[in-house]
Amino acid sequence: MIFDTVKQSLSSRRVLIPVEQLLMDAQGSRMPDVQPSLLTAEIARRAADACPTTALTLEEADGRTQLVLNYADCVACGRCIEAGAGAFVAAQKLACCGATKSGLVRRWDVASGAEIVSSEREMENSAREIRSLLGRALNIREVDAGSCNGCEAEIVAITNPYYDLERFGIHFVASPKHADMLLVTGPVTRNMAEAVRQTYAATPSPKLVVAVGACGCSGGIFAGSHATAGPLDAIIPVDGYIPGCPPTPAMLLSGILHVLQRRS
Amino acid sequence: MNAILAQSHETTDPLKLLHRPGVRLVSIFGSLDEDGSRRVHYAVDIDNRQYRVVSIAGEGPIASATPITPAAAWYERELHDQYGVAIEGHPDLRPLLFHENWAEGVHPMTAGFEKVPAGTRTPYRFLKVEGEGVCEVPVGPVHAGIIEPGHFRFSIVGDTVLNLELRHFYTHKGTEKLFENMPIADGCLIAESVSGDNCFAHAVAYSQAMENSFGVAVPARGRALRLIGLELERMMAHIADVGALCGDVGFTVPAAYTARIKESLLLASTRFFRTRFWRGVAVPGGVTIDLAAVDAAELQRIVAEAARDFAELAKIILETPSVQNRFESTGVLSRDVARDLAVVGPVTRASGIKIDVRRDHPYGRYREFATEIAHHSQGDVLARARIRIDETAISARLIADTLREMPTGAIRTSISADASAEGFSAVESPRGELFYWVRVRNGRIARCHIKSPSFQNWPALPLAMPGNIIADFPLINKSFNLSYSGCDR
Ligand code: SF4
Ligand code: SF4
Repeated sequence: MIFDTVKQSLSSRRVLIPVEQLLMDAQGSRMPDVQPSLLTAEIARRAADACPTTALTLEEADGRTQLVLNYADCVACGRCIEAGAGAFVAAQKLACCGATKSGLVRRWDVASGAEIVSSEREMENSAREIRSLLGRALNIREVDAGSCNGCEAEIVAITNPYYDLERFGIHFVASPKHADMLLVTGPVTRNMAEAVRQTYAATPSPKLVVAVGACGCSGGIFAGSHATAGPLDAIIPVDGYIPGCPPTPAMLLSGILHVLQRRS
Repeated sequence: MNAILAQSHETTDPLKLLHRPGVRLVSIFGSLDEDGSRRVHYAVDIDNRQYRVVSIAGEGPIASATPITPAAAWYERELHDQYGVAIEGHPDLRPLLFHENWAEGVHPMTAGFEKVPAGTRTPYRFLKVEGEGVCEVPVGPVHAGIIEPGHFRFSIVGDTVLNLELRHFYTHKGTEKLFENMPIADGCLIAESVSGDNCFAHAVAYSQAMENSFGVAVPARGRALRLIGLELERMMAHIADVGALCGDVGFTVPAAYTARIKESLLLASTRFFRTRFWRGVAVPGGVTIDLAAVDAAELQRIVAEAARDFAELAKIILETPSVQNRFESTGVLSRDVARDLAVVGPVTRASGIKIDVRRDHPYGRYREFATEIAHHSQGDVLARARIRIDETAISARLIADTLREMPTGAIRTSISADASAEGFSAVESPRGELFYWVRVRNGRIARCHIKSPSFQNWPALPLAMPGNIIADFPLINKSFNLSYSGCDR
């Protein structure tokens, strides 16, 4: 009986999201993006003032003002979007999932609205290249270093039939001893620091470490708490960062694939 | 009614109050007076009808409430860790929040605390079960699945569990301290990060506590939208829980199917509210995102479809003999234990105790009708699964009823940001009673205490274990589905 039901439901509604559609998709994450044409000094100032974290700041360089958006610190509160009069919008796509730490930072010249693109940020995002990774095997060990469990909810979601992580040959494994990649969430609490170090040591080399979420990237909303020892890259070496609070399943998947692509 | 009754400097003896029949402990927590001296607050629920908060000075030693109600044990250990309050007559004041890499004598919530000094403390003493053939099995903090960290120490004979001791707080983030001195609007960001899968319930509980403190009424449409968010969150949590239970007994097809139903609701949230988990939606004074009139029918259709698919699936699950075999009479939490430990939420309703904040202390939109409560009495894994199945259907009906009669008008009102006030609020989160107590001084948060249902319910899990085989632990644990981060904060 179960099989009848499931067969009928699976045939009536196809839910698997194609890889082209998934890559870099940030919808529902509430992460901000900038519409350079609408950016003014006044709006940039208002948005930076509204930001409750250090994600959005103004910097003076060579007599010009730059708007700096550091996704590592962004807790996706959406306040810059509310204050930004159209110049700040909810990101549809985010290229930086899986980037290095400096790749999480974007800059705009406030006067001209032009984005200042660093070479490091450029990432190859073609679905064709990602497809070339298909069929390889990657074993991931997920480590919760004190997350709020929001990131876990999304990591679990990438295994659901919409995202189907396993189609990329990627599996979650039960022990760090079987893992190629550690996917680490949370700000690294004081009480978890030792377990994180031990898990890293128990993972055979070569190994990749990916920091997940605002907490993983920078400590997020918990940065500076007396009860945290992180962020993660203060405890163990990190190869890539996936920002978000929490990152959506599409962002997680893109980030994992990009770290893999960059390191293969 | 929820809140309004905050009387924080009342003279009643809290221990006498706890002795009275019909009084359930909600929380015990500390705060600092303006001069930095400590105060201890006792929140109770009287006859499932009225919350009351009573407080006493905390500078001298206070008498422990644990001999009166074991539900007080962890609260007093936390109070002792956070504030260094001397508690007389407590049977077990081992550190709860702080592990070995915290220096002795640290009390982060006291006046003048700046940072944790370097140093360590003596290793934690686990209880020792002795006797012929008794073995100890330590598990965690890092577990095999994608779950949060915590430590379980089993004492077993053969396969059978004699005793389980928990050691948690690996995810302790000093959250309550982080609220200090924040503007009230920013407190939401922290509340949302206490337990991510219940983030909307936390944001609403926090916001309501502020609204109650300042006497602000949320517009009717804002209240309706909050109900929709709260019930969607409950549906997603319960559907995922039932799926996880199936996964634990190797029934993977329905497990994948539940994941699919849950995702359909997350995608609907993205589509209509631009957020998967409703983060950033609840704020003191109302909500930030409205539902477009044209979308209401489509949202209703998706919710109804999810509820129908899940009900069909649940029927199949419950009729499967291998599931019945594993779920039935496994991990029984007796009614008496649930009562003694003041257990809340679906877990207590599965053990025959009919409490639910939505009905007993209605808030927001729930004031306008009597919420139907599911309950079962066997207290086993099966009863806890059934509760979630029944409640998912009820939630879908509540959403449908609300969408059918959506009030029009504003979704949000402003809240004065520079005044001083204090108050509390409770919300029935997917895991049960969630209680926030806040104090604001000149527009800044002076104290925010979070009683999470998981903090309350974790101590009950070990009491559902003895006599079960250790191989059933993951299933029993999953049937409680408690949040580690929500507990550890
Ligand atoms: S969404 Fe991110 S960048 Fe924008 S205000 Fe919030 S934290 Fe700052
Ligand atoms: S990044 Fe956000 S969702 Fe992830 S653990 Fe931190 S607070 Fe939770």
